[in-house]
Amino acid sequence: MFLQNLVQKAQQFIDPAVLPGPLGNSSNGRPSKAQLFRHQFRLPDSQSPLYEITAELTLPTKKSGNDAKSPSKNWDKSNWDRDRGTHHVGQLHLSEQFLCFSTVQTSFVSTASASASAGFTGRTHGTGPAGNGFTLPLCAVRRVERLHTQSYVFALSITTWNGYDAGTETKPGAPAPPKLTIQLEGSRQQCERFCDGLKRGLRQGIKEVENMRTVAQDCYSEYFLYDEFDAVPATEKADGTARAPPDTGLGTVFKYPGNSRKLRDRSKMRLWHEYLKEHGRNTTLVRQPDFHRLIRVGLPNLLRGEIWELTSGSFYLRLQKPKLYQDTLDKFQGQGSLAIDEIEKDLNRSLPEYAGFQSEEGIGRLRRVLTAYSWTNEEVGYCQAMNIVVAALLIYLSESQAFYVLSILCDRLLPGYYSTTMYGTLLDQRVFESLVEKTMPIIWDHLVKNDVQLSVVSLPWFLSLYINSMPLIFAFRVLDVFFLEGPKVLFQIGLAILRINGEELLDATDDGTFISVLKSYFARLGESAHPKSENPKHRAITNFQALMVVAFKEFDGITQHTISEQRSKHKSAVLESIESFAKRTSIRNLGPESKKLSTNDLGFLYDRFYVVLYERQQRMEMIQAEIDRKAKLAKQRASEIVTGLPTNTPEMGRLALGASQTQMDYDAFREFLAGVAKWAVTDSPSSPMKDFSGGNYFTNTLRNRPINTSPWGNGPEPAEHEFLQRLFKKWDIDGNGALSLQNVVYGLAPIKGNRDIMSSISYFFELYDDDGDGKVDREGVLRISEALLFLSRRGLTGSVSHGPEDIDKVLPSKDEQFLGAVSSFIRRCFEYAEPDKTEVDNAADGVDLLDLGEKDETGHAETDDQSEHPKSPSPSSAGESSILARPSTNTFGQTKSRVVSANAALDPASPVHITLPTFRMLVLADETLESFFDSGFANSFHLADAPLPSNIVTSPAYLGLSHAPPTSGSGLSIPGPIGPTPVGIASGGVVGPGKGLRGVLDNIVTDGMRVAAEVRRRMDEAQRELDRGASTRGTEDDEDDDGEEQAVDLLEGAEANAGATPAKTPAKPSMLLDTPVVGGPRIESNGKARAGSDVEKSTMFER
Amino acid sequence: MADSSAPKPSSSVKLVLLGEAAVGKSSLVLRFVNDDFQPNKEPTIGAAFLTQKCQLPTRTIKFEIWDTAGQERFASLAPMYYRNAQAALVVYDITKESSLVKAKHWVAELQRQASPGIVIALVGNKLDLCEDDEEAAEEESSGASATAAADDEEGEESEAAAESTENNDEGNNSTARKVSLKEAKSYADEENLLFFETSAKSGHNVGEVFTAIANAIPETSLKGRNAGAAAGAGTQAALTGANENSRVNLNAASGDGGPKEGCAC
Repeated sequence: MFLQNLVQKAQQFIDPAVLPGPLGNSSNGRPSKAQLFRHQFRLPDSQSPLYEITAELTLPTKKSGNDAKSPSKNWDKSNWDRDRGTHHVGQLHLSEQFLCFSTVQTSFVSTASASASAGFTGRTHGTGPAGNGFTLPLCAVRRVERLHTQSYVFALSITTWNGYDAGTETKPGAPAPPKLTIQLEGSRQQCERFCDGLKRGLRQGIKEVENMRTVAQDCYSEYFLYDEFDAVPATEKADGTARAPPDTGLGTVFKYPGNSRKLRDRSKMRLWHEYLKEHGRNTTLVRQPDFHRLIRVGLPNLLRGEIWELTSGSFYLRLQKPKLYQDTLDKFQGQGSLAIDEIEKDLNRSLPEYAGFQSEEGIGRLRRVLTAYSWTNEEVGYCQAMNIVVAALLIYLSESQAFYVLSILCDRLLPGYYSTTMYGTLLDQRVFESLVEKTMPIIWDHLVKNDVQLSVVSLPWFLSLYINSMPLIFAFRVLDVFFLEGPKVLFQIGLAILRINGEELLDATDDGTFISVLKSYFARLGESAHPKSENPKHRAITNFQALMVVAFKEFDGITQHTISEQRSKHKSAVLESIESFAKRTSIRNLGPESKKLSTNDLGFLYDRFYVVLYERQQRMEMIQAEIDRKAKLAKQRASEIVTGLPTNTPEMGRLALGASQTQMDYDAFREFLAGVAKWAVTDSPSSPMKDFSGGNYFTNTLRNRPINTSPWGNGPEPAEHEFLQRLFKKWDIDGNGALSLQNVVYGLAPIKGNRDIMSSISYFFELYDDDGDGKVDREGVLRISEALLFLSRRGLTGSVSHGPEDIDKVLPSKDEQFLGAVSSFIRRCFEYAEPDKTEVDNAADGVDLLDLGEKDETGHAETDDQSEHPKSPSPSSAGESSILARPSTNTFGQTKSRVVSANAALDPASPVHITLPTFRMLVLADETLESFFDSGFANSFHLADAPLPSNIVTSPAYLGLSHAPPTSGSGLSIPGPIGPTPVGIASGGVVGPGKGLRGVLDNIVTDGMRVAAEVRRRMDEAQRELDRGASTRGTEDDEDDDGEEQAVDLLEGAEANAGATPAKTPAKPSMLLDTPVVGGPRIESNGKARAGSDVEKSTMFER
Repeated sequence: MADSSAPKPSSSVKLVLLGEAAVGKSSLVLRFVNDDFQPNKEPTIGAAFLTQKCQLPTRTIKFEIWDTAGQERFASLAPMYYRNAQAALVVYDITKESSLVKAKHWVAELQRQASPGIVIALVGNKLDLCEDDEEAAEEESSGASATAAADDEEGEESEAAAESTENNDEGNNSTARKVSLKEAKSYADEENLLFFETSAKSGHNVGEVFTAIANAIPETSLKGRNAGAAAGAGTQAALTGANENSRVNLNAASGDGGPKEGCAC
């Protein structure tokens, strides 16, 4: 649904009842009512429907319009005659900053059905979605009076202005806008609620008056209506200040395209002069049937820009943030970006046939508008075709006006067209094709038969709004209607083009002819459609006029609803094809190193990489939305939160929708690994699986299922270990603290791809060789052993190659072996460690001596290990229970004292290190380690060939271990000998599981007090860290609780707030309109209104 | 299949142009089709379509040229245009290194995704901008011909050449060329592509590119696009043969062009 992209998710949370899904991002999700509301009235994204009521609008007839020039006091309120003037029945809507009326019956209240709120997307008969009526910024309301009526009729009279004093008979100036009379039709309570809301909005609106003045100043109508149509424009105002026409685009300097006489520009101006005089202009404009008719026949040059602004809604955006354009330019002055480079390339080649764009003036404007937009929407940046569209706009609009129109185009009218994947363009091409198939099956069949691809022809039509397909004067006529009626116009015109050229197209059998038929048609648009007709009137009809007739008569049935429906139908297919293209391209372009991995693996990594990024982004947004919602509720009606340009979309992050993240930070990396390797999953999930998630909020609305907003989503929580940090650092070649897909692939390729034990060993060694000098010091050795235990704590191989029943039996023995291997690894590391300096010759001797004895010993131990625990899966349960004891019995008490007392290597005062050759030797000397580096480590990463079953990761068997008593605490982040072994039970008594590791180490070097001390220190540290972790976790929980409470409060507040009006109104029913004396907190501040009420009882609001 | 009795059969060939933005794709086409050059060519939106005939001794080839938009984000539209293409012109800008990288991506994409047997030509455009580097280029190209036999030496030489280019860059900006002839040529040989350096502005080598492509298109695949798919293994075999032919042609062409290039740039 295209509307989905218009809105920030935060806003969807304002009225949750309106949303079908928690995210509203499923491909069949419908736009929220707030979105529909904004779209109907072309309002900025900060607006939401607050109140609505059926009403009848009465406009003064022409005669009374003239009366309106005289002071409004003459209006006889007591004798209000509702028969005077034209009447429109419709719906009156109130948002934070706007009062809107439309004859198209639509409803956005939560009880309304989807069809009632989407009503305007059907046939609009040329009036556009907003129908007849008005879109009135509340700041443009000068005075609201309740009319005295005999009956129960509840009628308001609204006096509007746009910041400029109206002229009178004695004083020149633009005429006053019409006075609107609105009769509300509803229960008295409803009417009063509406008025209550209106009153609040009006008070807020006072702040906007300055903006309105600024904005209206740029409107040509303001200048235009100052004088009578035929009069020579006065060169100065009544007060003597000079006046000049506002900037109406490059056309004033370089001429507007086309022959203005042929276009009957002057008579159009006269008609518009009359219309605007009678029905208001810019902010105060009232749309009557004539308004739409005048647009259909083509706008006059000088007013074109202003009407585009009004019908597209960019005017209201500019009203909200009149300085955004200039501020953006100032803010980014002198900065460069990729988009700017791309813009520069195209500046000289945008509508080069128009004189204005051969001049520095025109090119300068184009540069500034495109650049400013690229800064406000960096996701879109700059897309070729925008230059053409903006160049065309600049002929009729000032720079700043063009900037806002471009925003509306990109964000609302042409969603996704110019995004980095151009999914909107591709989607609409699919939609167009399916409409051709539906409406013109013969042409469609012909195209299919001859293998002509329609979109190669039609894509530029849509992408550049026909501007570089048709002669400019006709393209602008299309734009006139497009801004009024919306994107469906592009489809209608396109279909009409094919229909009109149908016969010739049926003769075309290849792309070439097909294109040339249409090319020549476009060249003939200005010619007569019936050159041979007897009737001169028929002869006068141009091809273009005929095209408009076919488009809007014959394809009348193509409505916005049709388009939306088709879009949602094709959306997923289009997105998928873009994604598969992106995946293909991206994998292919990963570079030579990636060839070490299979295509399947690369595909798997690609998916995993982007899924993690995508899910994280979704989660972040959800959490952010939650925060925003709370903030918003806290501010009650925070109409100040005006987010002029939507930057987030509900589906943001999905690759096909354009700019998404491509870099993975450390946390994302952990999450990524947790899905790829078992050891990367934490043993101690910090946030329990039950989510905190603002559950209150969601469970309140039955339609929404709870969302898990824990920072890790539904996946396993990743572990945190120094090894992960080192891996991240190693993979982050560019050192920018984030990994690209290429970094990940290049990081994994040597591990998974080489399958060569030597490089695998060096890889591991390098991870710990911090300064890259080929040496790893004592600390490093300890860290390596820790990492080895960390990696092996869930078992290594086996889970893939063995049947499920075997696993349990195999693992223990492997773990046990591994434990032994690591133990002896540490021991030998210190044996073979080389002193950093040559000072310790004596000690070195000692080491040598010891080595001999040790070696025998170890050899012995190894043999024992092997004989008792062969690799074949035949261990007994007895074996399991003896895991911890075994190493100690083997090595206990035999060489320890000698070793440590003599081994200088263990003396922290004398720094030692091991080198890569030593490390390699030590690894190769141990069969278990050898097999780990040969295959175990590589196999611990599960890619496409053997994806990690998610149930293994989260299975209770593993998680159970983490529920060890908190006092023992160890084993959690300390890599302990963990596996599905009864470790926890065995150690459950006095020792605590932590003793497991320590015990092992103790046994390796019994008297190795220093080593033990070192280990103990680390254990304590870890313990402390754990405790700290636990306590912070505790506070987090508290915070969460607070958050929830707060949310509840807020929610209650909101309810109270929403409910307040009905609840309070009976108590003070007349407060608003007649006697604003009762002090609601908001009324209190308005002393003036109170004072004024005595004098003029029926004035609700006046300024 | 292509046994038409007409003395000079005419057949159409779908050709697609791909390459980074502003490397001169549209200008190449404009030069080929209208023998014209516009300094400020409007960027291509989606794709432009043009046709031009190419006369060969034995037949006439009518090129249906799809000139695509170069901006990165238009890449996802490309499959729509290269679908069924029998030939592709992958263009890079010899004054811009990144454009060759992008060109390589396109070649890879075409080799895997486009119709099998597609004839691909790699074209380095904007040779006119490198006229100042005449001497350097001459040295380089003579070096290339001298060492053509010895791969090892060539490698070293090109490194040296690259260094000298860098030095030039630091010293003054006279060296506009950023992609050496040798580098691109060896890549083209590796991937079995036709290869040319052209100037759309001066017209240098432009006609030659299209003629070489026309020659490289196997006659069997000219019967018509729709029949092409049905031809099956026979076509496939013919294509392989044709490719070998094309390589011969290419070598001959570049042999001819060698000295010319030397003078031109």
